[in-house]
Amino acid sequence: MIPTAKRPVSRPDYTGLLGVAAVLLVWELAGRALAGAYILATPLDVLAHILQNAGLIGRALRETLGNAAIGFAAGNAVAILLASAALAWPRSEPVVSGLALLVFCLPLVATGPILRVLYGPGNGPQITLAALAVYYTTFVPLLVGLRAAPAVWFDLVRSYGRGRIAELRFVRARASLPYLFAGLQIAAPAAFLGAMVGEFTGAERGMGVLTIRAMRALDVSAIWALASVAAAVSILAYAAVGLLARLTLTESPPVILAPPPQPRLTGRHVPFGNAALVLLFALLIWWGAMEAFHLSAFFAKRPVDVWQALVTAPDAAETRVRLAVALGETSVFLLPGVAAGLALGAGLAIALMLAPALGAGATFVAVALRSVPIVATAPLVVLAFGRGAVGTITLVAVMVFFPTFVACRHGLRQAPGQVLDVFDSYAAGPVLRLWHVQIPAMLPAFFAAARMSVPASVLAVTVVEWLATGRGIGSLMALSASLSDYDLLWSSVVIVALLSVLGYAGIGVMERRILAVYAAEQVTR
Amino acid sequence: MGSEADITESPGIQCIGLSKAFPGGVEVIRPLDLTLEGGRTTALVGPSGCGKSTLLRLIAGLEAPSAGEVLIGGAPPAEILRKAGLSMAFQDHSLLPWRTVRGNIELALKLARKPADPRAVRDLVRLVGLDGFAETRPGALSGGMRQRAAIARAMVTEPRLLLLDEPFGAVDEMTRRQLADDLPRIWEQRRTTTLLVTHSIPEAVLLADRILVLSPRPARIVADLAVPLPHPHAPGVAATPEFNAIVQAVSAALARGMAAAKPLAAQ
Ligand SMILES: Nc1ncnc2c1ncn2[C@@H]1O[C@H](COP(=O)(O)OP(=O)(O)OP(=O)(O)O)[C@@H](O)[C@H]1O
Ligand SMILES: [Mg+2]
Repeated sequence: MIPTAKRPVSRPDYTGLLGVAAVLLVWELAGRALAGAYILATPLDVLAHILQNAGLIGRALRETLGNAAIGFAAGNAVAILLASAALAWPRSEPVVSGLALLVFCLPLVATGPILRVLYGPGNGPQITLAALAVYYTTFVPLLVGLRAAPAVWFDLVRSYGRGRIAELRFVRARASLPYLFAGLQIAAPAAFLGAMVGEFTGAERGMGVLTIRAMRALDVSAIWALASVAAAVSILAYAAVGLLARLTLTESPPVILAPPPQPRLTGRHVPFGNAALVLLFALLIWWGAMEAFHLSAFFAKRPVDVWQALVTAPDAAETRVRLAVALGETSVFLLPGVAAGLALGAGLAIALMLAPALGAGATFVAVALRSVPIVATAPLVVLAFGRGAVGTITLVAVMVFFPTFVACRHGLRQAPGQVLDVFDSYAAGPVLRLWHVQIPAMLPAFFAAARMSVPASVLAVTVVEWLATGRGIGSLMALSASLSDYDLLWSSVVIVALLSVLGYAGIGVMERRILAVYAAEQVTR
Repeated sequence: MGSEADITESPGIQCIGLSKAFPGGVEVIRPLDLTLEGGRTTALVGPSGCGKSTLLRLIAGLEAPSAGEVLIGGAPPAEILRKAGLSMAFQDHSLLPWRTVRGNIELALKLARKPADPRAVRDLVRLVGLDGFAETRPGALSGGMRQRAAIARAMVTEPRLLLLDEPFGAVDEMTRRQLADDLPRIWEQRRTTTLLVTHSIPEAVLLADRILVLSPRPARIVADLAVPLPHPHAPGVAATPEFNAIVQAVSAALARGMAAAKPLAAQ
């Protein structure tokens, strides 16, 4: 019997603390070894910097936390509304989910500057980006959670002659709580990250502003100090929501990251029909909002403007080439990074199943690091690996690695205990168990992570390109924003969002094919 | 329809040409005509997968018939549902994991829009032998304890019609005997119409006034046996020749049903 296949026991886990101590120690030693290279500040340097600038950092932190908190509340409220709408009117679900995904795939790097001109000075963009960064990761598990209850609970409600309202009140609301908390937990650090990215786009105060300043000044200890503070805050936010969940929930939580519902393909043309509907609604909302708010046609481009810029304008061909070249540069970083992150995440999770003794500590560190706003550490990666391909690929890989690892590890543990017992009763070795039981059980979680890695990696790669490398689509977007070339900016936003959605959908198709073969029971629900 | 009085009293059940096939062509119940007298206890016995749970769900109005109809006290099931006059104890774990035993039992009162009744809840907890576990959540109960909690929940609303789907499957023998003594007494007292599914023939004989034996899927009634034992049962009734004769008859009917059915592979 492998202990990790069982429900986690709630005893204090000191391996986690050991893991943190080990990380700190390695960091300090590496910092000392590399002293003089101006890339790594040691934990002691960082501490000294924070103490010296406590007032400044404190004020910036308060600013960013305030924006993040408002964005967190707004984004999650929207998520709850969207999930409720999809539940109340099931036929609207494909369109609601599709629109939610499309908006989530808007590259924050470009929406940031656009929001800046729309809002003018103030906290609007930071709050909006924080909300944009969180609503989807809450919406998806919540939608699953609202439906995850076994049919017999609904039968119970109906057997007393009660209807959907009672179902919602007595079953769904409570049954979805663990899923809601799972979403909120991921959302807490994401909101902080969103607010910081919003501050990159020309805010007056906040952690993002300090980070930009430190980068310009190449102030190594400041960069490391800010990244450390951001990481610590994110880990605390993540842990706080987790604690709240443990205090609220009485039953053991079912999932960390629930895979979204499999699209039920009822007919051949249904998915295409839905995609067309989503596009139609997106265009309507886009155009309608701009007209309704009388936004200036100079920076608030309409769908028609983008169409002209990409297709009918005299310089359309040139625009298309510029976009294609930039996208080509980006994909060189993006694809290997994603592949490496997915492979490492799944690979390490599997390897740790074979060495369970290391598992607890590694998971703790990974869960903690997953909540770090990786993008906020972009300057560090650039410092460490330079402005070339290695740095960018590493960052993308890291961004993808942690959620994949955590999801896969959770998926591996979902393997039904009774089936594992059967394998044990035949004295089947750990490799056989892995291959026949645990890896198939892991696949849905892996694919859920792979799908979510599309928008995450786009965010990572564009931020690095924008802040550091000066190449690719992220840099093109930053450049067009600073040159007020709004046609090009909007065109890049549209193209990147569409490509992201396509990538997401493509992984979904692959997922259905592979699951149908290796984990059939997961597809037919 | 003039069914008011029947539903609030002890409703009889009529199935008229009732049949059920699931999408994909699985025929579960062949057209079935059946009348159950109000205020009596009927046991359904049949091989696994023959459609017993499906029949119960059709009667409870949780499943729509493919053809034919169900009448409860002369009215469609929706009528008794609307009056919260029906309770069903489900075969699988239907307790809400975040509610304690007491909370789950109280939930039935809430769903039935009946006033909270701590006395009744306490009495039922004791009746099903869960004294001391009222504040325990289902996750910390054994399978048999959960089933007993579900029985208590089904009974707390004092339903006119009680549907029990294998209520004692995981309950140990001694507790089962105790329940088989206690429950029929209450049903008789309240004149509850009870329909229960069980795999244990002796249990069917102990609990019911009438036993229906079903064939393998698609379900037909292969035997309809009255249980002429006087209620309440004398201690040791299970050792009497009368009792054994009924057990034998049921088990013979089951065997006949199995033999008459097509080979499994052909279904
Ligand atoms: N929703 C459904 N869709 C399709 N087939 C179903 C559905 N529900 C039940 N069945 C099929 O109907 C048949 C009867 O199921 P049912 O649950 O009524 O059996 P049962 O007699 O209660 O069996 P058991 O004694 O094992 O509980 C089974 O073959 C089952 O596969
Ligand atoms: Mg059944």
